[in-house]
Amino acid sequence: MTRLNKRPALLLFLLVLAILAPLGHGNYIIYVLTSWLIFSIAAMGLNLTLGYAGQISLAQASFMAIGAYTTAIMTLAGWHWLIAAPVGMVLCFLVGLVLGYPALRVKGHFLAFVTLAFNTLVFLVLRNEDWLTGGSYGLSSMPRPDFYLFKTLKQLPFYYFTLAVTVVAALVLWGIVRSPWGRAFKALRENPVRAESLGVDTRRITLLAFAIGSAYAGLAGALVSPLVQYIDPGSFGLSQSLRILLMVVVGGSGFFFGPFVGAAVVILLPEMLRFTAGYYLIIYSALVIVMLAYVPNGLIGIGTRLRERFWPQHRARGDLAKGAQLK
Amino acid sequence: MKLVKLLAISATAMAIAGAAHAADTVKVGMIAELSGPGAPSGTNWRDGTRLATEEINADGGILGKQVEVSEFDTQTDPQTSRALVQKAIDDGAYAIWGTVYSGSTMVNMLVAQQNSVPQFVGSEAPAIVQKGNPFVFRTSSGAQKGIPDLTSYFKRTLDAKTVGIAWVNNEFGKGGHDVFAAQMEKLGIKVVADVASEQGQTDYAADVSKLKEAAPAAIFVYMNQEESARFLIEAKKQGLTMPLIGEVTLTEAKVVELAGDAAEGAIAHVGLTASATSVPGIAEFVTKFEAKFNRHPTHDAIKGYIGAWATKYVTEMVGKFDGEAFSNVMHGLCLDAKSYPHMLLDTCWDEHGEMSRPSFMVQVTGGKAEVIGIVNSN
Repeated sequence: MTRLNKRPALLLFLLVLAILAPLGHGNYIIYVLTSWLIFSIAAMGLNLTLGYAGQISLAQASFMAIGAYTTAIMTLAGWHWLIAAPVGMVLCFLVGLVLGYPALRVKGHFLAFVTLAFNTLVFLVLRNEDWLTGGSYGLSSMPRPDFYLFKTLKQLPFYYFTLAVTVVAALVLWGIVRSPWGRAFKALRENPVRAESLGVDTRRITLLAFAIGSAYAGLAGALVSPLVQYIDPGSFGLSQSLRILLMVVVGGSGFFFGPFVGAAVVILLPEMLRFTAGYYLIIYSALVIVMLAYVPNGLIGIGTRLRERFWPQHRARGDLAKGAQLK
Repeated sequence: MKLVKLLAISATAMAIAGAAHAADTVKVGMIAELSGPGAPSGTNWRDGTRLATEEINADGGILGKQVEVSEFDTQTDPQTSRALVQKAIDDGAYAIWGTVYSGSTMVNMLVAQQNSVPQFVGSEAPAIVQKGNPFVFRTSSGAQKGIPDLTSYFKRTLDAKTVGIAWVNNEFGKGGHDVFAAQMEKLGIKVVADVASEQGQTDYAADVSKLKEAAPAAIFVYMNQEESARFLIEAKKQGLTMPLIGEVTLTEAKVVELAGDAAEGAIAHVGLTASATSVPGIAEFVTKFEAKFNRHPTHDAIKGYIGAWATKYVTEMVGKFDGEAFSNVMHGLCLDAKSYPHMLLDTCWDEHGEMSRPSFMVQVTGGKAEVIGIVNSN
């Protein structure tokens, strides 16, 4: 009973913290915090695909690219962000379905390779179709959304706008994970054969997880576009996909708040380590290696572990006893 | 409670110390590619600015204030570079030095512009000075200026009828490729092979054999440093006999070092070169740089050096630290090497921030780029 009361209080506390975090800071910190939120959304999507449905995707950055370019092209043509962003998301959802349909015939690292190829393909299309995407030069000066009374041109309002979008996206995902679909995703990850024997249409459910995950990347892309106000194909390469994968794994795949923690590590940690000048990337990489070696469940996993150790009466979630595995 | 008090006191103390500090220094943000694929360029740029800063401070600083430079690494990532320019400006930077990669500059120059902060960049993509940003200034000529100087070499010196282009498909490479191809068409020289490659590509076997098959009279090579070196090595392996001609990067110290023997005979048009030791300023710069860093400088080092010194010269002309006034004076300004020795060469900026100054044709002989001709600025 006490736990039930504690959880909403904790969430409220975190939300207040997120609201207060940028106050009194310069534009740089606000910018970094905003990109943390955006990458949390992209990582949330991948967490659904990887952590809940157990499929490795290396194409998350290319879905971000689809969302970002769609939003950029439409807002530059005078459409409002509120129309452009959903169009980008729907497009990602559809592309996710079309890619997933043949791709999800294979699993594990084979799927990783297929999505890797897709990532490269999107990169090449963005770069070579100059007439639409501006080629290597990219697109610039995208307007930031304007809601009449609330303009997001300055960094701080844009942060709150991103925060609001993130909260909505997280609530929707919360709903999805707790819906029959969410249960089916987890069943699939734990034991596909058993899931199928229980009447779960594994193919359709995997496809759905993949497409919803892609739509989340699209939403993240739709926010990157007005944040940076410049996009080019190089920003959505394979390394970006790997970074998002790292966020999910470091944070704790299969945990709802894992992506937030993971994105914080990947985005905020190097920035915090900058004072070490020439060594910061070395320290950052070493920390990531140590984390993955000692807490393969991700940082969120530490909490569960500690609780198990000191308050063993709390039973760990059975479905996560083995952790989300990369196979 | 005690802790809170302590924190409050130390914060106040720091603020006071900061204010006192701010009075006799002026802050500058140095943002460059210190890691990732741009590191060869970025670290040279940084070392050029370091050398200049040391000299400027020894010379009494800018308007009597010592220059305090904060250095930031962009990891060759445009989005990070934007955040860092923002950080430098938040910290009170009066000017920005960097970045070198055009893709990064395109993003971060918007931030400097919004804050009216003058920015000296090492980038050469044409688009940078075509966006109407009054606060961005080059430290070397853009591709749309440098390449036409080079093309007369193809026509007059080589009398080439056909030409091949090997280029890297990023902002930098595409900018140069488009200008070069247009120039060739104007001169009636036929492009018989047009080979694009990727940033970070390691295998040039297919590219070189395609060029070999097309057998043009000369090949224009337009890539970043590491890619240029790999291309030259493969060209030597496959025995490419036609002259390989580049703009700026192809004969650079870093490329020659990486490519070794394979760089022998490569020709390039360079806006700046550390091998133009017949120019007294450059000879002196090279000696100082080698003494300090124990290696040969590249043209990026000279660019950083010039950017830093131009900040001092122009600010003192303006007489105060004012970005708007700085930008007004910069447009249409010429600094001659006699009165402003640290500019090394006579240098002018036009109303878009584009720069012009005499340039050189160089060829690699005996592991060193030697000047084979001087091209006057257009």
